[in-house]
Amino acid sequence: MTEGASLSAPYTLEFPFERTVGPKIGTFFAGLKERRLFGARAERGVVCPPLEFDPDTGAETGELVELAPAGTVATWTWARSRAGDPVARDFAWALVAIDGTAGSFFHAVDVGGDPSRMQVGMRVRVRWRGDRVGDLRDIECFEVAP
Amino acid sequence: MTKALAVVGIGQSRQAKRREVTIGAMVREAVRGALEDAELTFADIDTVVLSKTPDLFDGVMNPELYLADAMGSVGLPVTRVFTGGSVGGHAAIYGAHLVAAGLARRVLVVAYSKESEGNFTWALSRPLPFSAQLGAGAGGHFAPVIREYIRRSGAPEHIGWKVAVNHRLNATRNPYAHIQRPDITVDEVRNSPMLWDPIRFLESCPSSDGSCAVVITSEEHVPRTDRRPAWIHGMSWRTETGHFAGRDEVNPQAGRDCARDVYRQAGIADPAGELDVVELYIPYSWYEPMWLENIGLAEEHRGWRLVEDDRTAFGGHLPVNPSGGVLSGNPTGATGLLRFAEAALQVRGMAGEHQVQEARRAVGHAMGGASQFHALWVVGSEKPAVAA
Repeated sequence: MTEGASLSAPYTLEFPFERTVGPKIGTFFAGLKERRLFGARAERGVVCPPLEFDPDTGAETGELVELAPAGTVATWTWARSRAGDPVARDFAWALVAIDGTAGSFFHAVDVGGDPSRMQVGMRVRVRWRGDRVGDLRDIECFEVAP
Repeated sequence: MTKALAVVGIGQSRQAKRREVTIGAMVREAVRGALEDAELTFADIDTVVLSKTPDLFDGVMNPELYLADAMGSVGLPVTRVFTGGSVGGHAAIYGAHLVAAGLARRVLVVAYSKESEGNFTWALSRPLPFSAQLGAGAGGHFAPVIREYIRRSGAPEHIGWKVAVNHRLNATRNPYAHIQRPDITVDEVRNSPMLWDPIRFLESCPSSDGSCAVVITSEEHVPRTDRRPAWIHGMSWRTETGHFAGRDEVNPQAGRDCARDVYRQAGIADPAGELDVVELYIPYSWYEPMWLENIGLAEEHRGWRLVEDDRTAFGGHLPVNPSGGVLSGNPTGATGLLRFAEAALQVRGMAGEHQVQEARRAVGHAMGGASQFHALWVVGSEKPAVAA
């Protein structure tokens, strides 16, 4: 063995899993493809994104409820855009309280790269992606509601 | 222990490829069944124990957190128990220990695997740098051990085929079992493809999705229902290193020691004579005679004669796996708990079409890894005279 040499080898792990989302979450994803937003009834109110089981009681959540794809910024932080981010210029990561729901939805907010336009309480709406496939990226980001 | 412990609720999902439900919804099927059987609600449960094989099998890390809501464990402590295929047995015993220790009045023990979401053989045999890529899988590991059993015992090769037929016929009386082959014959097993010599395709367990749950409590908290509890007469686990020089994988010491400890607790001197039915972790047909010998239900090298003489078939003197066993359904994270739960169903008289008549004492057995993990309990229809 060469003095001081240390062996190394590349090691790439791939995870070949195939998820089942079930009828409740499946309907939520299918709705996104059709530009529709659903939440599920729970003890604290409608939760969006929906859950199968109520985090407050453990009971199965109730029926799905269609929501207007708009809400209010509850809190936010500013982020520099990197390759692969949902917005190609600097943007905010925000917790958005969707109208008619309890809790909030984590997503990006595009304010044209100007952080001075971000405010708690501001009204935002969903900007839908053009080519939707039925996953959460069908929501490109939120944008300022007129 | 000073208080007698009992299984008072049992639930299980259908074992199959379950693409229509999420992991959480499949787990909930068993949880709901166990609580309904016990006539309890989440509010009655003090602690939840989750049994699960390695995360790579179906790709959820920390499943005890992911499934907290599905298991109804809002505000409750949750512990995950983690070995190989034996894990459900270990989890049941751990849950009973929590009750025995006075840390909980009622424990919900939950187990699952959803193997259709992952790739089992990949998870067992993923390549590592600087290591040989054997890709042997579980059968490749167990085949040489089986061949050594056949050499030592002189058993004829049709024993394995016969076990495979017995278990699949048993499964036709269990609506939850994955494999349903009512027309199976010894010839069909013999002519099925050789996977790992001497193991043929129909002598092997399937890969299944499924869940199981049980509620364990102590005598003063047994709910008043129309269904009687299964009393725990003895329980134990033993582990040995998977590979070391001198290890006897055909008849592992850990399994022998585990069974001896349980029979001592249960006051059983003649296991084969005092037990009415057993549910054993038999993933490949030949493990029936091997485990019968390992846990003291047959003399060494003579377990295969019980198969030959039809004593282990349904209706025989000591039925093995009336549920159909692992050969008829194998959601690995739940498989061990299913053996423990099926033993309990038998002594409760609740096993339906696969009920063994007059089943008063039963073994639930689980093993895992390279058969280095062993767990076993004896349950009975009567409260033990002296608590285990």
